[in-house]
Amino acid sequence: MVVAGGIGAAATLVWVATGGPFWPRWVWFAAALVIAAQVALRRALRTPAGRRRWFAVHVAVAAVLVLAEIAIWALSGGGLFWPAGIVLVLAATLSGHAWLLERPPGRRERELRARIERLTRTRSGALDAQALELRRIERDLHDGAQARLVSLGMTLGLAEGLLRTDPDAAAELLAEARAGTKAALADLRSVMQSVHPPVLADRGLPGAVQALALDLALPVDVRVDLPGTAPPAIESAVYFAVAEALANVVKHAAAGRAAVELSHRDGRLVAVVTDDGVGGAALGRGTGLPGVARRLEAFDGIIEVTSPPGGPTSIRLEVPCELSSPRTSPSSATA
Amino acid sequence: MRVVIAEDLALLRDGLSRLLEAHGFEVAAAVGDPDALAEALLDDTVDVAVVDVRMPPTHTNEGLRAAIEARRRRPGMPVLVLSQFVEQLYARELLESGDGGIGYLLKDRVADVGEFVDAVRRVADGGTALDPKVVTSLLAHAGHKPPMARLSPREREVLELMAQGRSNAAIAAALVVTEKAVGKHSTSIFAKLDLPPDNDDNRRVLAVLAYLQAADDATT
Repeated sequence: MVVAGGIGAAATLVWVATGGPFWPRWVWFAAALVIAAQVALRRALRTPAGRRRWFAVHVAVAAVLVLAEIAIWALSGGGLFWPAGIVLVLAATLSGHAWLLERPPGRRERELRARIERLTRTRSGALDAQALELRRIERDLHDGAQARLVSLGMTLGLAEGLLRTDPDAAAELLAEARAGTKAALADLRSVMQSVHPPVLADRGLPGAVQALALDLALPVDVRVDLPGTAPPAIESAVYFAVAEALANVVKHAAAGRAAVELSHRDGRLVAVVTDDGVGGAALGRGTGLPGVARRLEAFDGIIEVTSPPGGPTSIRLEVPCELSSPRTSPSSATA
Repeated sequence: MRVVIAEDLALLRDGLSRLLEAHGFEVAAAVGDPDALAEALLDDTVDVAVVDVRMPPTHTNEGLRAAIEARRRRPGMPVLVLSQFVEQLYARELLESGDGGIGYLLKDRVADVGEFVDAVRRVADGGTALDPKVVTSLLAHAGHKPPMARLSPREREVLELMAQGRSNAAIAAALVVTEKAVGKHSTSIFAKLDLPPDNDDNRRVLAVLAYLQAADDATT
């Protein structure tokens, strides 16, 4: 800007010295044009990247051109207003561009928008669930193992003080302390189990589901047909979903037996939990299933509950995923 | 009695060594990974191995696999597996690795020093030591079998202790009754569950465990 101003001023001085018609007006015009173009483009480029930025650039260029045409027309002495044609052409291209920008979205674009909305929703759902989960773990540790360790420390301190004066009381306190360590360990174990069951890390989804089935008080048929391993996050989500479904069978279904089937078809991991109980299960009714559904949604998974009154109930989970590194051949077992 | 200890956390390894030495065991080796365990078990004079489930390199269930492998090489090699959590699945795998000489306990049980040392001795002698938690879930799982409903509450208690691997004498002590009374209960249990009577403690335990674990065809 200083350079442009300097050149204009120098031209004006030369004109003062030499006289004649005021030709430096063209020098000033060129300098102003450069500055205007610069300012307009800078403003336009402040728009976030994307189609709207291109439109802003288009507007800026058109505005500078229109101003330049009018200035040339004025500086060259007016007369017939010839820039009108150019202004019209520029206005037409601009409105064309604006229409392209705002036209109603096509099918593909509508699909993409719906997908983005879904991703945004499930992403924030997953983050909310995760934050709640961390909060729960913190509270469990605080109220459980931590509190027990504090009390353990106090009991041991008391016992230490009584060791010489009252050995019998000290022995009693030591026994109490030992019981305290057990309770603290049990608390820690249940927290660990709720975060990531060790057997899931050891044996993957098939082994963990089998272990789950063995721990239930009713016979559960486990059939696994997985030619490989699903990603850990998906294994974990499906494991907790199956665990919740089986817990519901035990709590509500009054079933004689249950079955779990794990398979992989058309790029989807499928888990089906069935029972021969009384039916009437629904996603919303006081079960942990909505939480399970939210967790699966984060992986584009779905959950379907078929449970007519009188039964039987079938809960089907599907999560799109690829399997990696083939494991051992399909297995089947009754627990 | 010569014992090998396999536990990757030095703190617990030293604690176990100290505890077992204080109770008259001779620690033949205290190691921290499955390879060193396999090497230590080449020594045939070892009477029992106490093995942690979780060991390097993946810190999942290497200890369990090493125990099963050791028993494949030397059938009946007594192994007591310790873990921070117990799974029926793993208990089954251990029991399937051969008759007797097997233990599977929560690490917490080490705090009951007397009972823990008893369990190590029992396993070394070819007996069984199953964690009460495993047994509880085993009983819950088998509870729907019709014969189980015919057991009296006292008989269920005896069955539970028997499934943990205890001898009649130990069950009598735990329930504060005479050994003869326990004998009567166990005869009655065996009759109700339709199992052949047996006077040998270890074989009786194994028969009960096999019954509890058997697939449940009776329900359909």
